[in-house]
Parts: sequence; C-alpha cells; structure tokens
Amino acid sequence: MTPAIEIRNLSKRFHVKQGLFGKPREVRAVDGIDLALPEGATLGIVGESGCGKSTLAKLILGLLAPSEGEVRVAGQSLMALGRRERAKLIQPVFQDPFSSLNPRRRVLDVVAMPLVAQGGLSSAEIRAQSLAMLERVGISAEMAGRYPAQLSGGQRQRVAIARALVLRPRILLCDEPTSALDVSVQAQILNLLAELRRDLGITTLFISHNLAVVEHVADEVAVMYLGRFVERAPAAELFAAPRHPYTRALLASVLTPEPGLGVPDVGLGDTMPDPSNVPTGCRFHPRCPVAIPRCSTEAPPLVGGAECHLLAP
Amino acid sequence: MKKAGLYLGIAILGLITLAAIFAPLLTSHDPYAQNLDIRLSVPFWMEGANPDHLLGTDQLGRDYLARLLYGARVSLIIGVLTVIVSGVIGITMGILGGFFGGRVDDVVLFLITTRLAIPVVLVALAVVGLLGSSAVLVVLVLGLLLWDRFAVVARSTTMQVRGLDYVSAAWAAGCSTPRILISEVLPNILSHLAVVATLEMALAILLEAALSFLGLGVPPPLPSWGLMIAEGRDFMFFSAWVIWIPGIALFVLVLAINLLGDGLRDLVGDSR
Amino acid sequence: MSLLEIRDLHVRFGATAAVRGADIVVERGETHCIVGESGCGKSVTSLAVMGLLAKGAQRRAGRMAFDGIDLQPMSERQLSRLRGDRMAMIFQEPMTSLNPAYTVGSQMAEVRTRHKGGSRRAALERAEELLAKVGITAPGLRLGQFPHQLSGGLRQRVMIAMALMNDPELLIADEPTTALDVTIQAQILRLLAQLQSELGLGLMLITHDLGVVARVATRVSVMYAGQVVESAPTAELFANPQHPYTRGLLDCLPVPGKLPPGSQLGTIPGMVPKLTEDFRGCGFRSRCGFAQPACENEIPLTGDNHLCRCVLAQ
Repeated sequence: MTPAIEIRNLSKRFHVKQGLFGKPREVRAVDGIDLALPEGATLGIVGESGCGKSTLAKLILGLLAPSEGEVRVAGQSLMALGRRERAKLIQPVFQDPFSSLNPRRRVLDVVAMPLVAQGGLSSAEIRAQSLAMLERVGISAEMAGRYPAQLSGGQRQRVAIARALVLRPRILLCDEPTSALDVSVQAQILNLLAELRRDLGITTLFISHNLAVVEHVADEVAVMYLGRFVERAPAAELFAAPRHPYTRALLASVLTPEPGLGVPDVGLGDTMPDPSNVPTGCRFHPRCPVAIPRCSTEAPPLVGGAECHLLAP
Repeated sequence: MKKAGLYLGIAILGLITLAAIFAPLLTSHDPYAQNLDIRLSVPFWMEGANPDHLLGTDQLGRDYLARLLYGARVSLIIGVLTVIVSGVIGITMGILGGFFGGRVDDVVLFLITTRLAIPVVLVALAVVGLLGSSAVLVVLVLGLLLWDRFAVVARSTTMQVRGLDYVSAAWAAGCSTPRILISEVLPNILSHLAVVATLEMALAILLEAALSFLGLGVPPPLPSWGLMIAEGRDFMFFSAWVIWIPGIALFVLVLAINLLGDGLRDLVGDSR
Repeated sequence: MSLLEIRDLHVRFGATAAVRGADIVVERGETHCIVGESGCGKSVTSLAVMGLLAKGAQRRAGRMAFDGIDLQPMSERQLSRLRGDRMAMIFQEPMTSLNPAYTVGSQMAEVRTRHKGGSRRAALERAEELLAKVGITAPGLRLGQFPHQLSGGLRQRVMIAMALMNDPELLIADEPTTALDVTIQAQILRLLAQLQSELGLGLMLITHDLGVVARVATRVSVMYAGQVVESAPTAELFANPQHPYTRGLLDCLPVPGKLPPGSQLGTIPGMVPKLTEDFRGCGFRSRCGFAQPACENEIPLTGDNHLCRCVLAQ
C-alpha cells in the first residue's frame, strides 16, 4: 500500500550573505529527512526553536523549493503538481490565529477561498459547503458574516481549521496550532482536531514544541534536532522509553502539573544549536551529557529509530 | 481632540470639492466672459466694489469668483488624475518588487533610485517647454514623475504582508499569484497608500500651479489658480488682491489635503 | 510582617476593569505563583505593585505594603528608589528591558551605582560575580557584549543577574520563561528556584503554565476575570482544587502518561465576560456548571489557609 505521505531525503540549504565581502554562509535548515506515514496516522514532530521544523513545514507545503529530495502524497510528487492540485492534497493550519486570517475578509469568504480558487462551483454551492464546514468546527452561520477581528483566538483557529478542511485534503499539516492559545482554548481545539481526524480519516502532521500536547495527539513521534530527525518511534514507546539523549532531555524538561517534584536538571548547557554551523559527527554532541570522543568525529548510526553512537551494538 | 485635524481637513476639502462641482449654481458669471469696461474692479469689502462681482474682476474684466470656482475644478481634477496615474505605476511596481523579491525587486529598486535622481520640476519644465502646454500633458508628466513614494511604501508594506500566514494559507489553498496580490495583499496595504495619495495630490496641485505660473502649465484662458497668480503679477502693486485671493485658495486647499493625510496616517498607525 | 501584602487591589483602564479584587501575600523565602489565562489581570497586578501601570490607569487598594511600608501614598520618585533596589522585576521578553545600545556590563553596573553608589569598578566586579552565579560561562567576556549578541536563554539569565545586583528582597517575574524553549525553560526555572532558596528571596512568579506552578511554587493564587478566585499551598491546590474554574483548568491539561492518548480533554465552555465597570459578582458564572443566582453578588475570598472565592465554599 502506498503511504499517505512519503518524504525522501528532503533537504533545504540557505545561503546567507555575511557582510559586504564575506563568503556566503550555508545554513542547513533541513538536512536529509525521510518519512513515510500510513493513511489516517498522526505524526507529531517536536523540536526547539531553530531546529528547522518551520522550514520543514514550508517544504512539505511547497511554499519553499527543496534543495534536495521530494515529498509524495498518495504516490504523486508534490513538486510536479500545480498549485490547485496540491491544495486538494495537503492543507495547513498555522500557529498564530491573528496573522493566519486576512483581516479584510469576512469569515465566510476566508473559508470559501480554497473553493473559489479551485473554480467550477457555483457561488451557491461554495456558500453551502463553506457554511457546512464552519458549522462542523463550531462556528455558527451568524458568525460567518463577521470579520476575524471580531472573533476570539479560539474561534479564529476554528475558522483556520475550516479553511484547511473545506477541500477535504488527504493531509493536514498543523504548525504549532495551539501554542498561541490559552490552556482552556487549547483543549477545545485539540478535541476538535481529534474528532475531525477520526471522522474524516485525515493523515496529520502535527508540529509542536509542547511534548505533552504531542503525546496526547500523536500515534508516532519524530524528534527533530538541527534539521534532522534524531529519533522516531511510536508515541507510547518514545514516551515510555526514549533512546536518544536529546529525547531524554526534552522529556525531562516537560513540567507536568505534579507538585513536589521540583524542576529537573536537564543538563544540556548553554550552547544553542546553530544551523549555520552544524557540528561534525553527531550534531548533538556539544550539548550531550553522555557524549564519547567518537561522537565528534563519526556520523552516528541509526539504531531502532534513533541516531546515536551509544545505541550501537 | 486628536482627530480635529482630520475632520477639519475633510470639511475644507469637502467644501472646496462641492464648490467646484456646483460652480455654475454658485455664480451666474461665465469665467471666460471678458468685459473690458470693468477691468480690475475691487472685491466686496473694498470701497467702490461692483455688487455684481463679489470678488471683483481681473485685468480682462472676467468675474474673479467664477474664475476661482472653476479654477478649483482644474486643481482638483489635475490632482486626482495625477495621483491615479502615479498610483497605478508606483503601486504596481512596489507590490511586484516587494512580493517577488530577488531580481524583480532589484529592477524595481533600480527604477526607484533612478527616478529619485531626476529633478521633478526641471524635467517637467523641459518636457512641457518642448511639447507645448496642455492640461493632459501636465497630468501625464506629473503622473510619470511622482510615483516614487507609492512604489517605496507599497514595496515595504507588501514585504511585511508577504510574510504573514494568511498569504501562505492563500498560497496553500491554491490561489493564483494575481489573486493573492489583488485580494490578499492589496487590501491590506491600501490604508498606507491612502496616506501617500494625499501627500502626492497636494504636491501635484502645487506643481501644477507652479507650472501654470511659469506659463508652462494649463494654457490660458483656462482658469487655473497658478495662472491667475501669473496673470495678476503685473497688477500686484496696485491691486494686490488679484494675487492673494488665488494664493490663499491654493494655501487652504493644500493645507486641507495635508491635514487629511496626517489624520489618516494617525488612524492607520492606531490600527497597527 | 509579610514581605508584600496586597489587599483588595482594583485597577481600571477607563470603563474596563482589569483587576477587581486581588489579594496576594508574599512571605520572605517563598515562591508565590499567580496563574491564569490571558486577560485575567495577573500582569496588571504585578505592574500595579511596581507602580509601572500605563498612564490613565486608576488604582485603588485596601492595602498595598512592601515590608510594612505603605506603597500607596508614595511618589513616583520614592517608588523608583525602591524599584530595582529592594524589589526587582524580570519580564517575559528580556530585549524590551535591556538597552540595545549599551553593553551588558555597563547596564548592570549602572543599576548598582544608581541605587547604591560606589565605584563603577566595584559594580562591574559584582556584575561578573552574579553572571557566574546565574550559570553564565566566561562572565568577563559577556560583560563587554551587547544584548543582541546573546541567545534568548542567556539574555534571560542576564536579566536575572541584573535584577539581583542590589540584593533585592522581592523579585517579581512576569512569565520569565514563556518565550524560551522547554529545555532552556527548565534551566532558568531551576536557577530561579535555587537563587530563591539560597538568597531567601520572596519570589512572585506570574505564569499561565500550571506545570511551572506545580514545580516551583510554595503557594498559588489562581486569577480569573480580574479576581483571585483561589489561593492555597501548592500541593493542597493541585490535590484538592475548590473553585470550579481551577478544576476546569486542571482538566484541560494534557498530562503525559496520565491520560490515555486520544481521549477527550476536559474543556471550559463559553468565554471570559467583558469586564465593564459595573460588572459584579463571580466572573466565571456564565461558564460554570454550578452557577446560581447568588453568584451575581460580590463574593468574598473565604477560608483559612486555602482561600476560595465561590458561593459553594461558604
């Protein structure tokens, strides 16, 4: 069976000018990502700022052209498809519900936009389909005539979800969809997404920095560090028995609401990962609390979903 | 009161516009009709005024109020048309440069800097001097010269909007690039462009008056405020009002437009 | 005597009530967390204490005292002498409070010499010492750097070190780790907790993150719609939440390992009410499953050590 989405050796390098005469520096934002996801599954992608997860999202959506590799949805290469064909296969939900909706458009027009762009539908049909989708995400027909500024953050995010789903895409890409929302609103949006995923059978990529949220929504989790997946595993397995030292540090830094446990020592030090200066060998070794000399020279082997020297037999 | 300037500007500009539109109703005189018997009759507040001509007459005996009202038409029409011509040129260039970046932007930036290196008044004088004066030519020359600020503002605001998620969402939704430019980008930079439009309109009106004053703008006998000042030049020592009546009109109109522009800019700033 | 005592604080911006009854007491050597969602008035409360409210804000309080000194009649000058000296503040985005035009060292030294006098050299020495204390490697080098040369985590450490320059007794931290990555957040919070116990500071920590609260707070006050609705020692609050809002909030959280994946999260239906100046009573009643007519009256914060503002608790 062909996977719903397949990514092969996806890479993106930027060249950043340095000063007037400096040699342009190469920034490896995404560096050889492989991925295959079966129909209906949800993959959580976690990582910290600067790990390349936003660039990965843009590559998958086709907003950026990859330096290498390709993305295939339902067996078709996205690069080879036109914008309209691509729109029917994959749709995004962005982080900030205040910048993801055009402030000059009414809610109904925002949701109708993908249908209008596809063409071939009468305006009555477009209106009916948009209203139906809005109702599905919990936005009443009465609110459909308002402007985004008149809605709350949670309502705006619902509108963004309706816009993403109105074409019934195969893949939904959520880029930090709840990070800008309050906890009580976040819970509503996560429940809504879960319900829609179940009912529509959509394959979902869920990018987030919040491990608690990812654990709740994902079947499978990929941990991203400096442009690569350093560990990939089924969610339950990853949270029960993390293999990569970076995954362990990430999990340790999740502050669950359990009083008395104090703040754990994650032991990563101050050095921040810099995608314009990716370390040799294992890219995590300068921050790794358990690094051995080999880590700085050799690329780590892939063992059971994790790229780490210590896991080598 | 923060918006006093804005309202004052709108009020004055509205009054002048209404006066220009309804000029035939406000005065029964023909602005072109000469009557050499009553040359340079004085306005109503001076001794010996002709009650038939409220603001007096000019050196050819034409009614000064009629010429002032019809002259407002010339100023406003030339101002608006110039802004339309320069706006279309500048906004198109700015949006294209700001949205596509790269080579396109390099070309746009080059054109903007080239334009900024050209002295507007000198070129306008030269062109009008070479090709002869007409109202259409004035609009074209000014329109082709005054687009730079539109381009600069459209370019920078487009760059800001381009990076916002709703543009990415429109892209991912399958919208074509022209559709994204027209329905996602343009409406969201329009408020900034409105401010530029007022500034450019004031400038265009002043430049038209200057060109007309030099005899290179609209040709006589068209009633233009600049031309009226030029024609009154020889009589300014004994009949100063032939100069300062159109002068004050010009000052008030430009002031009103600038007040409006300032007010708009504050409003736009508020909503950000 | 408590280090900071706020009784019945009210803050209004024009016709909007931002805070309409905040009672917060911070003792020496304790971490008091104020938790709530956006717009609940938690940040405004902290700004009101520091005398940093925006122009046009009206403040009124039953009592507002720092170490027994009444803050209310103080002039701006007297307040600014206290600020940065005996009480210091850390903000969410360090870049807004660090001056981009000066080096880290000169900004830190200036904080010291302005309040305590002394030589610049001594102040710089102290700055270096504090940078080392907040876990910055090569502190001497950092003194000569500009804020933009530092990463987000380092900047926040610099902010903390700067707040400690004059040995404050009270430290107010407004969402100090919200803009940071989770691993850095854990490091910064660990540092704050360490410093707090080591120096015996009173720490007032404002956050929206119940995870942070659970791990660092001695005492928690939950704010909703401008009021403190519940206040209790941390373990007690999480084990035995009384107010319907606190309970709802705790149910909304996905907790790794506690909730079967794919199950529904609890939600709080409805929205925060608009707080006009004549709004009375419980702000949560429109979303509450236990609402009754009595909720429209002013409800006092009752209880001994576990305080709750709810008709059901009386």
